[in-house]
Amino acid sequence: MIGPRPQAWLGLLLCVALWGCDASSLPPPAGELRINLGTEPPTLDWARATDNISFLVIEQIMQGLTRLGPDLSPEPALAERWEVSPDGRTYTFHLRADVRWSDGVPLHADQFVYAWRRLLAPATAAEYAYFLFPVAGARAYNGGQLSDPNQLGVRALDARTLQVRLEAPLVYFPSLTTFMVTFPARADLIARHGEGWTEAGNLVSLGPYLLEEWRHEYRLVLRANRDFYAGPPTLDRIVGYMVGEASTALVLFEQGILDLVRLPPLEIRRYRDRPSYRHKAALRGYYYGFNTRLAPFDDARVRRAFAMAIDRDAFPKLLQGGELPAAYWIPPGMPYHNPEIGVRFDPAGARRLLAEAGVNPARLAPVRVVYNTDQTHRLVAETVQAQWQQHLGVRVELENREWKVFLKELTVSPPPVFRLGWGADFPDPDNFMNLFTSYSANNHTGWGNARYDALVEQAAREPDVGRRQALYDEAQRILCEQEVPIAPLFVGAINLAVAERVKGFEPNAMDIFFLERVRAE
Amino acid sequence: MIRYALWRILQGIPVLLIVASITFALLRFLPGGPFEREKALPPEILRNIEARYHLDEPLGRQYLRYLADLARGDLGPSYKYVGRDVTQILGEALPVSLQLGAVAFVLCCVFGMAMGLLAAVWRGSAADRGIMLLALLGVSVPSFVLAALLVLGVGLGLGWLPAALWEGPRYAVLPAITLAALPTAYVAQLTRTSVIEVIDLDYVRTARAKGLSELHVHLRHVLRNALLAVVTYFGPLLAMLLTGSFVVEHIFAIPGIGRFFVTAVTNRDYPLVMGVTLLYAVLVVAANLAVDLLYGWLDPRIRLGGREA
Repeated sequence: MIGPRPQAWLGLLLCVALWGCDASSLPPPAGELRINLGTEPPTLDWARATDNISFLVIEQIMQGLTRLGPDLSPEPALAERWEVSPDGRTYTFHLRADVRWSDGVPLHADQFVYAWRRLLAPATAAEYAYFLFPVAGARAYNGGQLSDPNQLGVRALDARTLQVRLEAPLVYFPSLTTFMVTFPARADLIARHGEGWTEAGNLVSLGPYLLEEWRHEYRLVLRANRDFYAGPPTLDRIVGYMVGEASTALVLFEQGILDLVRLPPLEIRRYRDRPSYRHKAALRGYYYGFNTRLAPFDDARVRRAFAMAIDRDAFPKLLQGGELPAAYWIPPGMPYHNPEIGVRFDPAGARRLLAEAGVNPARLAPVRVVYNTDQTHRLVAETVQAQWQQHLGVRVELENREWKVFLKELTVSPPPVFRLGWGADFPDPDNFMNLFTSYSANNHTGWGNARYDALVEQAAREPDVGRRQALYDEAQRILCEQEVPIAPLFVGAINLAVAERVKGFEPNAMDIFFLERVRAE
Repeated sequence: MIRYALWRILQGIPVLLIVASITFALLRFLPGGPFEREKALPPEILRNIEARYHLDEPLGRQYLRYLADLARGDLGPSYKYVGRDVTQILGEALPVSLQLGAVAFVLCCVFGMAMGLLAAVWRGSAADRGIMLLALLGVSVPSFVLAALLVLGVGLGLGWLPAALWEGPRYAVLPAITLAALPTAYVAQLTRTSVIEVIDLDYVRTARAKGLSELHVHLRHVLRNALLAVVTYFGPLLAMLLTGSFVVEHIFAIPGIGRFFVTAVTNRDYPLVMGVTLLYAVLVVAANLAVDLLYGWLDPRIRLGGREA
């Protein structure tokens, strides 16, 4: 046996030394907030991002003309004020004078013009370019029919004035400009770094926090922007880990390593009575759609009967995540929400309607319900199956599909009944009601109603609150009570665990993390 | 030997070409494309995206373009991670999987062979039965169960080791144990069987008769000859361990490449799927070559290159 050589001892010593030091197992220092992002943000290029995780990070490092306030109404941000022309088609935004990018370059209205042209340019291939389709010439430019970007309805009148000309009046336009794809961008930086302009070290931004480190698939670090125009934020650092498994994230939370995590559904019950538990109904609707081109769902009475035979109170009990039963479509927390709308649970009435439509439940072929493979969707589908069998006497068959296969099927040949959801992109009911217009690509029901289309279009242009409410109420009654191409089931909820050392954090219905004024003690 | 290695590397090229072609075809047959979204895209936007990634071209053209890029070592841009190339993504994630896989591989060799040897030497005893029971458990407990038990038991309950994340050597312990459990058990079973086959042969008796110590006999004479079967398994095992594991990386929040074997397919991120598949194929080819070269060293009777009988 040969004795260990000195190098071996040195190596052992090094191992022991490394063993002892691991920064992240210690509780985070005051002023540092550690959150779980869950997954890698697919991109921090705000013109090309489409998902919640990217949005969550971009919201901390960037700002737009407007931003959502705590009540989710648009507030001045980079624009200190704006005016609308009498015809409702021209918006003039006046930018703040004191805004500088993190490299010291002042904000200029041209940076918006560049960003919007870039978003809409066909070569960028931005998925969310359609958010700016209301701007004059935007859709034609994106579709290639218009090649001159100078003809787009966005102009810098001077360094601090941005003028936007719309195709048609749109009362919620200042809500749209809170969304990340409308944020300004720097042509010089994108030209200099190419695709790598969003990496740490290259990314220049102007929000309350700045990107310091981005270790892909693992961790992203933001630090306070001391020169933020509204004053430095309260946190020194935000560290976002990408822990995919929610129960692992919860273990790290319980060890004090993470401060803010999403609760997996099975853990909500255990956390419900703890001070760290935060819960909020989200602007996220969950519905069952009917293929109105297939019998028996080509008859509105049958669809109404099926919608009436669902006891929606069962879902919160089943899912335990603070979901709200919903027979309406515009969710609470959204302006123009009306809780009175929607069919009531009425099994006897439903059976009468079926009889009236000439449907004999015993002879009806089994109704096929298709959902994408997921534990929650399966539970919901089994509940609906049991209720329809019990209350209507029909047979129901459940089928599940892998997500992309399911989406393909929805566009090619939608099943008789399918489940889907919708989360708000911006807090205006148009974002929800637009979905079921006859020309919406997201309407998989095959249903179209001229009156409904007209009401939704009119409401988007209607500046008067009372009249807009009446328009949405009527449209919702067509959608949820009379024609019933969809049966809304419930409104989803956000369930978080927040460490007690974190002060001033509250979830909101848009599921945006407002971290500018949050403290970590 | 060098000529043999070169010849084997050349043989690997058609293998990779076949793997690339089959993967390409299978992906296109999968229903649902990369840009099928819950929030449907307007047609003009879909056209722009397809043009950007050349998905609007006929399949034959796409295939040729893919092969041409591949020949230049370009795996293309990821569809999911906007602005990042597959090469870049794999380049960042692979070192992590290599580190973790290497630790797991060492665990596997040391513990697997030691357990197998001891069980064979003490065959029929309580120790043998104990070791084999452990091996049976290792083979049958799924990694996600073991991972969850380790996270909750050792990480959260006892607090001896970090439950998750990737900050230093200590963080590799629990995931490496999870990753190594199944192959260790398998190696133990293989080693035990092979050792039992040779342990009573004449040359072993001769070695003992020469007065060599038991340890020397077992390590130098018995184990070395028993290793051939085990080493055959090392090729695919090494490739498997080095490319990470979706379950282990997901549960322990480790930024390796194992996750992409699953997420790239669910996202229909074609270039990334092709990238991880090819990487895996390269590692399998390379590991098998290494094993073949190892044979020659372990058993001089095996002549590489097939020139002599």
